[in-house]
Amino acid sequence: MNLAVRLAGSLGVLATVLAISSVVFAQDTKPAENRSVPAVNSSTSSVPAPPLSHDLSGVWMQYPDGPAPGVPGMNAIDQRFRPPFTPWGQARFDAARPMQGPTAVAGQENAPTLRCDPDGPPRVLNLPNPFEIIQIPGRVLMFFELGHVWRTIWTDGRALPKDPDPTWLGYSVGKWDGDTFVVDTIGFNDKLWVDVYGSPRSEKMHLTERYRRLNHDTLEMQITMDDPKAYTKVWVNPPKLHKLEPTWEIAEWFCVIEEEHAYSDTIRIPAGTPPTGKK
Amino acid sequence: MKGLCALRWLAFVVAILVLTPAAFAQTGASSNAAKTQGLATSLSHDLSGVWMQYPDGDVPGVPGMNAVSNRTRPPLTPWGQAKFDAAKPLVGPRAIPGEENNPELRCYPDGPPKLINLPNPFEIVQILGRVLMFFELGHIWREIWTDGRPLPKNPDPSYLGYSVGHWEGDTFVVDTVGFNDKLWDDSYGNPRSDQTHLIERYRRLNHDTLELQITIDDPKAYTKPWVSPPKLHKLEPGWEIAEWFCVLDEDNAYDDAVRKPAGVAPAAK
Repeated sequence: MNLAVRLAGSLGVLATVLAISSVVFAQDTKPAENRSVPAVNSSTSSVPAPPLSHDLSGVWMQYPDGPAPGVPGMNAIDQRFRPPFTPWGQARFDAARPMQGPTAVAGQENAPTLRCDPDGPPRVLNLPNPFEIIQIPGRVLMFFELGHVWRTIWTDGRALPKDPDPTWLGYSVGKWDGDTFVVDTIGFNDKLWVDVYGSPRSEKMHLTERYRRLNHDTLEMQITMDDPKAYTKVWVNPPKLHKLEPTWEIAEWFCVIEEEHAYSDTIRIPAGTPPTGKK
Repeated sequence: MKGLCALRWLAFVVAILVLTPAAFAQTGASSNAAKTQGLATSLSHDLSGVWMQYPDGDVPGVPGMNAVSNRTRPPLTPWGQAKFDAAKPLVGPRAIPGEENNPELRCYPDGPPKLINLPNPFEIVQILGRVLMFFELGHIWREIWTDGRPLPKNPDPSYLGYSVGHWEGDTFVVDTVGFNDKLWDDSYGNPRSDQTHLIERYRRLNHDTLELQITIDDPKAYTKPWVSPPKLHKLEPGWEIAEWFCVLDEDNAYDDAVRKPAGVAPAAK
């Protein structure tokens, strides 16, 4: 896919999100039954047994069916299912100044992405950008267009490390459970958020991703976060569908600090300025 | 590799900072030709594995970083000279502690050919239609298309460029165009323009040894193609590429704590 087109599209999306999100969050975001899910329904045990070959290869793009009107996707991590914070989690959340959502204040944002910190799971999985999966012996590789980040999931039978160094991406191992590819990740640092709204991630997080190819064109992803330092319960999200994009290629899109600042000054902050009279 | 690489890098930078002024005053002796002797060739068009360059720099005390060799650099064009003069590198005879303006100090993504030249491991993975390269430095990955597509006519300028590869006998030849001009070709501030045509030639001399030869054809910056001598890399079967991102806050903290103090010029200099 042409980078310029995609980038322009993403900027447009972001500007739209920024413009709309405060309105959206002011409304009662009731669970959306009106999610239009093309291809298959998310309760899919009724799908006629597809030839499941343990093959997740391809470029995947999430469906733009977010629960909040005007928000395209980004619901693989769903705010409506977020458990209560621990005191540590609450303090982190209160210190976060996101770019969007009800706690956004234009010009005061401190999202890690504004400093071009590398994005990591689970947030990078949740952002509305394509990723590619490549399977090679002993490993599944994921390539995210956003930030040009790549990630290794070990499938050679190794165990999770006992005492991993904290990292941006964590340490991931994966295995097949029937037709579902289950990825376990630990060893995160606590410098990133799990979503765009400032929900924290601690170094105690155990992330579980479950991938299932419902048919040739459809990948289901279900994310569970077990982070007892930040949340009082396990955060279990509903499944999220992704569409195969056979002709897309992951373009080069790095976060570069000068470009990020220039973009913030000319587009993001002006677009995010709250309407006059709005709190 | 985890943990080790940061230490290795740190030791390396300190060594360079301490040694470079003296090193550049000497004349380096060529070193890696000897290793190519007597290598049998059973060549299967397979470059897979984690590779690490031999620490045999042109300049004594500098480990490696000679796949792009200063000694064979052609004269600069006026555009190239202006860019070079504006560069304030971290290493080399023109380094001035505290005044450096290397792109990587702002965590710009590193790209070819400098990325290939830095003394850090990379992994090659071959899949259908593509060769993938994973660089520990900056956690950068790069794809080289081998599905027969031509180079694009008018590519958008990018940090990594657009790469296609093909086999010529036992040599894997990679052609890359479409670079932006925001990076340097090496650690000494030699510029890279958007007219660069980069050619990399990879040849597996034996199971454990990969030869890499780099040619930079950049008529906007250099008056002739820059042909560097072949550089040898060693297979490291027990290594895995660790996570090593450039992070601006960490980079600034490292600068203040280690790099700048270590780089303070001797009093008489």
